[in-house]
Amino acid sequence: MFDQPDDAVERMARHLRQPVRIDPALDERVMRAIATLPTPVRSTAGVAWSWLTRPRRLTLTPLGMVAAAAALAAVVLLYRRGPGPPVLPRTDTRPFQFVLVAPRATRVSLVGDFNDWDATRTPMRRVRATSSLWSTLIPLAPGRYRYSFLVDGAHWRADPAAPAARDDEFGTPSSVVTVGGS
Amino acid sequence: MGTSDAALVRRVQTGDTRAYADLVARYRDRLGRYALHMLGNREDAEEVLQDAFVRAYRSLASCDDPERFGAWLYGILVNRCRTAGARAARRAQRFVYDPTALERAPSAAPDGRTEWEDVVRWALARLPPESREAFLLKHVEDLEYEDMARLTGAGVSALKMRVKRAREQLRAILKEAERV
Repeated sequence: MFDQPDDAVERMARHLRQPVRIDPALDERVMRAIATLPTPVRSTAGVAWSWLTRPRRLTLTPLGMVAAAAALAAVVLLYRRGPGPPVLPRTDTRPFQFVLVAPRATRVSLVGDFNDWDATRTPMRRVRATSSLWSTLIPLAPGRYRYSFLVDGAHWRADPAAPAARDDEFGTPSSVVTVGGS
Repeated sequence: MGTSDAALVRRVQTGDTRAYADLVARYRDRLGRYALHMLGNREDAEEVLQDAFVRAYRSLASCDDPERFGAWLYGILVNRCRTAGARAARRAQRFVYDPTALERAPSAAPDGRTEWEDVVRWALARLPPESREAFLLKHVEDLEYEDMARLTGAGVSALKMRVKRAREQLRAILKEAERV
């Protein structure tokens, strides 16, 4: 759960997880307050809707299963139109390269939706020992990912070569990459 | 094993108001912990908790899935804490500096809290509300990100980011506290 198992933040979380006792007199105050309110009785329409949409466990007899299969086949045959859309080949992850120019950096990490924004999981390497180019190659499944570079463990940098994320609520510069499915 | 939440909710929905007392007693301490850590003081936490229970009762007719009463109630509390937190922040902005009152204020923790407890409180209070909320739901209430998303209305990516930022900030704050 934590980057460093015994760090102070975990100790803090353990402390906060301890049970808290709230004055039981609160129950009485709540009950006094609701005594003046109308009873929250469900309307007939609400009950009916819940009954209709409630998940159910069905037990089928062999005869029932045959009938259900026949009904399903009939529905499929009735609504089938031509050969249908082509079946797409299974999409797998593909290697995706991220690059950043950072001449003065001593370490760079790639962080994003694909690694839970964990700076320890995807360190980047200099392309050559003296190069200012940092790079990493990671497998990505098709999808849209938000990411950023963390330089020297403190400075967030968006990818200058990619679109900026528009939904960044935290002031951290980040970028977006979309990995296609074909 | 006691009566299920769903059975108690259905009893209330059919007019048995007393069944609600069992639900309140069942969730009082658990929800109280979240409110207390989120708001930072017991008075505000109890007020918000009471308000959440009363609002939940008032809306109980619309609780479509009594099996998930706990999660539904949690959602109400999270919202009430947000409102109360914003109100408290506005109150704090209107704070008037009063050196006499400060001199008279007790210097030691009033309820026997340890130094570590004070540090924890101080560190939590310094987090922005949305980071504190995400950190508490994830690491204290032990919720999955999908459940957190349902409760808070934020996306899973945004919540992961908030939790990560909260951990970083807390680590820095606690380090700072060690030095002082």
